[in-house]
Amino acid sequence: MNVIVRTIARTMFPFILVYGIYLAIYGHLSPGGGFPAGVVIATAFILLVIAYKERKIEHTFTEIEFLDLKTVAGFALIIIIILGFILRLRLVNLQVPFELWSGGVTLISNVLGSIIVATAFVVIIYSIIKEKT
Amino acid sequence: MNKAVGFFAVALFAVFVGISIFLIPGYGSYPNPNVPNYYLNNALVDTGSANVVNSIVWDYRGYDTMGEETVLIVATIGVVLLVGRRVS
Repeated sequence: MNVIVRTIARTMFPFILVYGIYLAIYGHLSPGGGFPAGVVIATAFILLVIAYKERKIEHTFTEIEFLDLKTVAGFALIIIIILGFILRLRLVNLQVPFELWSGGVTLISNVLGSIIVATAFVVIIYSIIKEKT
Repeated sequence: MNKAVGFFAVALFAVFVGISIFLIPGYGSYPNPNVPNYYLNNALVDTGSANVVNSIVWDYRGYDTMGEETVLIVATIGVVLLVGRRVS
């Protein structure tokens, strides 16, 4: 890609990433949640991958590291959801509604689910893009 | 022969689809409103989440969401096995 696309992608990357993290963390208070947040976070990385397609970006991240992160997040999400009927009552009794630290299991599940969705889309599209070269 | 059987099957399917379209309840007139009313009234007390959609997706129906994440993980593993590079 030419220099315009590279500059725009490099400039917009942190803003898109911060917006995705905001969607994940505030998912239990405002519209959003794990799935849209994961897609937005994945969009930031995919923009970088497409803009810097010719160069080597393996020193920044590889898809195998993303797969490891995804495995850890997946197991944590499964444990949280299976133990949800115990954790939910404990957490809800301790928290104040409409605060940031509220929502019981949903806050933790949003963050873990956004990690899983983001890594899934990054790994899939990165593999397909890098497959031809 | 085959063409006639196929045409008959498609026509039968179309008739049933056309009947079932007119049997769908209208928007907002769900015949058994116990479950949506329970979610709307008790979501904040039960889960502590102000977003009712999020509390349904991640808390009430957490096992469903866990299955969706499993589908994503399996799809990723399949794509990496098919077209992934070998990283040493």
